[in-house]
Amino acid sequence: MNYQAPVKTTLLELRNLHTDFQTSTGTVKAVDGVSFAIERGERVAVVGESGSGKSAMAMSILRLLTHPGKVAGGEVLLDGRDISRLSEGQLNAIRGRLVGTVFQDPMSSLDPVMRISKQMIEPIMRNLRLNREQAREEAIKWLGKVGIPEPERRIEAYPFEMSGGMRQRVMIAMALSSRPQLVIADEPTTALDVTIQAQIVEVLKTLTEESGAAMLFITHDLGLVARFAHKVAVMYAGRIVEFGRVEDIFASPAHPYTQSLLGTIPSTAMLKSERLPQIPGLPPDMRFPITGCAFKERCAAAHDRCCVEAPRLSQCGIDHTAACWAPHGLGEGATLKAERPDRPNRPFEPDGSVVVELNALWKQFDTSRKMVVRAVNGVNLRVHKGETLGIVGESGCGKSTIARLLLGLEKPTSGDIFIAGLAQMVFQDPASSFNPKMTIGGIVAEPLVVRAHGSKPERKEAVRRLISQVGLDPAFAERYPHQLSGGQRQRVAVARALALNPSVVVADEPTSALDVSVRAQIINLLVDLKQELGISFVFISHDLLTVRYIADRIAVMYLGEVVEYGAAEEVFADPRHPYTKALIDAVPVPDPAIESRRTSTPLQGELPSPLNLPTGCAFASRCPMATDRCRAEKPALPTHDLARQVACHYAS
Amino acid sequence: MAEYAAKKLAQMLITVLGVITLVFFTLRLIPGDAASAMAGDTLSGEALQVLRDQMGLDEPLISQYLGFLRDLAMIDLGETITTRIPIADLLLRALPITLSIAMATIVLSIVISIPLGTLAAFMAHKGRNWLDNGLTGAAMIIDLMPSFWTALVLLLIFSLGLGWFPASGQLNWNNPGSVALRLALPVIVLSLSQVATLARITRTAVLEVLNEDYVRTARSMGWSEMRVLFRHALKNAALPIATVVGLSFGNLLGGTVIVEFIFTIPGVGNLLIAGINSRDYQLVQTLIVLYALLFVVINFTTDLIYKTLDPRVQF
Amino acid sequence: MADLSLPATPTRKPSLLAVGSAIARHRFLSHPKVRLALVLLVPILLLTIFAPVLPMQKPLETNLRAMMQFPSIEHVFGTDKMGRDIFSRTLAGVQISLLVGFSVAAIALVFGMVLGTLAGFYGGMIDRAIMTVVDIFLAFPSLLLAIGLVSVMGTGIVPVILAISLADVPRFIRLQRSQVLSLRSRAFIDAARTVDASQYWLMTRHIVPNTLAAMLVAASIAAANAILVEASLSFLGLGIMPPQPSLGNIVRDGQTYLEQAWWISTLPGVVILLIAVGLHFLSDGVRELLDPRSR
Ligand SMILES: Nc1ncnc2c1ncn2[C@@H]1O[C@H](COP(=O)(O)OP(=O)(O)OP(=O)(O)O)[C@@H](O)[C@H]1O
Ligand code: SF4
Ligand code: SF4
Ligand SMILES: [Mg+2]
Repeated sequence: MNYQAPVKTTLLELRNLHTDFQTSTGTVKAVDGVSFAIERGERVAVVGESGSGKSAMAMSILRLLTHPGKVAGGEVLLDGRDISRLSEGQLNAIRGRLVGTVFQDPMSSLDPVMRISKQMIEPIMRNLRLNREQAREEAIKWLGKVGIPEPERRIEAYPFEMSGGMRQRVMIAMALSSRPQLVIADEPTTALDVTIQAQIVEVLKTLTEESGAAMLFITHDLGLVARFAHKVAVMYAGRIVEFGRVEDIFASPAHPYTQSLLGTIPSTAMLKSERLPQIPGLPPDMRFPITGCAFKERCAAAHDRCCVEAPRLSQCGIDHTAACWAPHGLGEGATLKAERPDRPNRPFEPDGSVVVELNALWKQFDTSRKMVVRAVNGVNLRVHKGETLGIVGESGCGKSTIARLLLGLEKPTSGDIFIAGLAQMVFQDPASSFNPKMTIGGIVAEPLVVRAHGSKPERKEAVRRLISQVGLDPAFAERYPHQLSGGQRQRVAVARALALNPSVVVADEPTSALDVSVRAQIINLLVDLKQELGISFVFISHDLLTVRYIADRIAVMYLGEVVEYGAAEEVFADPRHPYTKALIDAVPVPDPAIESRRTSTPLQGELPSPLNLPTGCAFASRCPMATDRCRAEKPALPTHDLARQVACHYAS
Repeated sequence: MAEYAAKKLAQMLITVLGVITLVFFTLRLIPGDAASAMAGDTLSGEALQVLRDQMGLDEPLISQYLGFLRDLAMIDLGETITTRIPIADLLLRALPITLSIAMATIVLSIVISIPLGTLAAFMAHKGRNWLDNGLTGAAMIIDLMPSFWTALVLLLIFSLGLGWFPASGQLNWNNPGSVALRLALPVIVLSLSQVATLARITRTAVLEVLNEDYVRTARSMGWSEMRVLFRHALKNAALPIATVVGLSFGNLLGGTVIVEFIFTIPGVGNLLIAGINSRDYQLVQTLIVLYALLFVVINFTTDLIYKTLDPRVQF
Repeated sequence: MADLSLPATPTRKPSLLAVGSAIARHRFLSHPKVRLALVLLVPILLLTIFAPVLPMQKPLETNLRAMMQFPSIEHVFGTDKMGRDIFSRTLAGVQISLLVGFSVAAIALVFGMVLGTLAGFYGGMIDRAIMTVVDIFLAFPSLLLAIGLVSVMGTGIVPVILAISLADVPRFIRLQRSQVLSLRSRAFIDAARTVDASQYWLMTRHIVPNTLAAMLVAASIAAANAILVEASLSFLGLGIMPPQPSLGNIVRDGQTYLEQAWWISTLPGVVILLIAVGLHFLSDGVRELLDPRSR
């Protein structure tokens, strides 16, 4: 990055910060001695898995933790002043004024029964000492800056009248309108689609740059970090394990955890046939004290010393510190190695037999207001034996409806579905996919029992086999779903889907609820199964890099239609439909070098409502190339052709 | 809005019609018939027949039913069978008394329970649980005390023991002070359980809201805890609280019967018991329909009010 | 792929009986609320069961030489104007209370479960029919509905049980229906549907087991409530009629002598309260125990 810090003056410094949660089952040391500093105007990203203490650390800065969370020790220096011991009243003078905050979930972060105007104007009046009229002007100005169309009108809206992306813009406008010196953003884009995420990140970046505010940006998306941050803090089990400039962290990560994380993400540079490296195991349970290095159970470089003594952050380069006893972690410039290189992700060769075929499929839902949501509009797709079809698109584009249609959970409005054999499903949310009152064994056996397959001992044997097939100990059969981690549950979901030897498994966002380190485990599992069993997969995800890695063919959907279809690598290397291009452009790549070279502007606007669809090209309202012809005439997609297909009048 | 209200109103009318029908036919299920049940062994065959004619019991069921509906629609409530007093006159005297008790109870319990519940929630949110635990425990026990027993205990202590409140005597509306004293204990008895319910609901609703993300947002903007509590938390918690106020009105109506009986207050509840004891089914059916109507209308109104106040509800 | 496997803690497979007793020892009986509930309920239950063989005056026996006596060792709760022993009458009343509470809870549970499941699961006409009737019943304040019903059905224990149940069943239907509705869209139901599980299977394997906990909790609250309503009805002279003792009519009898003999009315009321509180703690405890997250 071509960032040059001005004269270095520290804005925020944390010194040995500790935060505890007193729970009935023990004290969770969510933040266990964190120290780092943010310079003025600098953007520092904090990355780490869920539960590593990122939010707890960020909320501790302004003591926004709620009971039972408590800052247990350490100092927070803002502009050289220790604010960790200020009274609530004194802190309130800093909150919102010197430090603005943006939270993760835009849907719930604004007061639902209060107009935007009211929520925005009063803080501005207080902080900038303006009268109501001036404050209103100011609020409207900021709403305009964050990209809200017609801000004069929209300021009187209630939050529920806005989309998630719009609400997050409002949150940003609220946080920035008092000209804070520091903005804390806790996963501000996690709940949003890639295209919207790209817009929001752009807004945050431009506006903080403009005002010179520093930013503490929490995320678990390494791609975003590469796009956005000057410095990176990697957190693991309540501590910072590595801290440094973004180029250094990505080019020469020093801590095994960072090295592993970078390795687990499918990247565009990576060959599809390479096996995805994965970090074994799970993060530690923070209710229990940890002796030695918290990462030792999952670390390939662990040695005796790691088990007895916890490493401290120490210098390993200019502005670069890491907490590891091994001088270069897993090795000089190394990332995690795939542990079974002998089992590559082989591409699929079609033998011509079709397993799934969708013909002119339409699905409409009637809403209560006598309006019709058109979720799927004339989709033709085919899946061959052993093939993996990836379906991508923004949320609301009809991906999940197609999955439910395939499984017979919804009836199509018109068109037909042909499936040779049986279709089974792996759901997105590992928490609600299992009956909490059944054991894992019972859950995996259910399809066999319902279909009266085999005798009781035979089924028992089948369950054992299935559970070990997905990489779990058969003893898990006795457990209940809530006793399993997210990744383990998703393995069980796969086992259940395999029980009846299906010809196709539909996986709807199977990895999006999982952490990066676990995600790679599940992806590898699916790749193995696909090759071992010759099953076809329909893999639905908004995570384009994962889809590129796992899918043989990709269908890009927009407003219930397939707008581009083709071999995965080809579509990625050479997207032809303007929407596909925009989608791929929006995906942050975990490589600061690539990210800093990016020039394109993110796709503007949001997915139109599926209540009243345009007559011409569905994408016309957001397409940078749209013409009158596009708005009048619908571009068609040739049916069932294995070759590349693009639904655009002007496809290159 | 108008459309929603109309739809709700239609729904309510169906329910009310159902209520009337249910009451009417249930009363015809009495073994033998209402007249002989009423008379017991006191009347001879002939006198019984007279009574039957009077009550229209020999007409076909369907025309009895239609007649009942017609009379209700025209607010012709008929007369009591034994004493031949127009029921409307009785109600005109009794209803204001019962409604005063009910309204006083609602006001008193809201005034007490909402601050109490809010405070408990606020403190619990900050990890100081003693008020919350105390309140929840006390509310549970008060809620479970049979109201007739509470009434007797209070009567024993405050009227018979301390002599603060008169336990009986005429209600003299020309002397509002004496009426207030006379109705004080009944209102307190009823308020106890209302406060228990409402404080608990308020506590739960406010606590839930305090954990919402938008409360954290407001805190992150530098607003004080008090302001956040009043501007954001209470406003959002008001909606679930309003629903419960409407629903607990039903319990309140049941409670008035008991306190009126104990404190010998000539309200609708005593009328009902007198009606049952004298087996005056004309009176009983009218009163039961009236209670249901009151309850339904109150709920309809609260529903409409809070739907109007909640910007998220679109009509 | 064995290298992926994460070790599961080995679980023994003890016999059913051992499991049962382990649960009883570790989860049910050691739960503080359950313990409190049992401390309140078990003595009352034992006294009620063994009342006939305890050395005290029979509930209906009068003793004109010991009228309106203050509580003593001999007459723990004192005596009334006919010299009847209030304590033994109270225990007889508790018998009725428990019978009413248990019957009402059972009736409400069974009908609520069946009709609520049907309404929620099938929707459409069945749902509309059931819910219209439910709404009509819910339009009556529950005590008044019970009063209205006993006024028609007459006094005595069976009418009282039926009247209170009729007021409670609609509430149970509604609770069960809303639970079923929220379960119906859960992914595990979808998963079962993709293998063409029958509706009977879905209801018995997935829906009922997941709704039972909340229904049991509601049932024990309904039992407490039924005991209070029965007492109220008897107090108003509409429920269990003297000389048959019930907690409500004992209090009613004493009302006239409140000034001379306060114990007649107040002490049985305390017993009602203790039972109700005990049942509430029991339901609270059961709810916490059945919550899978607490396991
Ligand atoms: N209210 C709470 N009560 C108890 N423990 C909590 C609470 N909130 C957080 N924790 C614990 O504190 C630790 C750190 O949580 P934190 O939310 O900071 O993680 P995070 O890195 O932000 O995760 P995510 O990526 O999921 O947002 C975790 O072990 C978590 O379980
Ligand atoms: S300290 Fe040891 S266990 Fe920890 S990361 Fe370094 S090498 Fe691995
Ligand atoms: S048809 Fe027109 S509007 Fe549609 S994608 Fe192509 S260029 Fe854009
Ligand atoms: Mg977080």
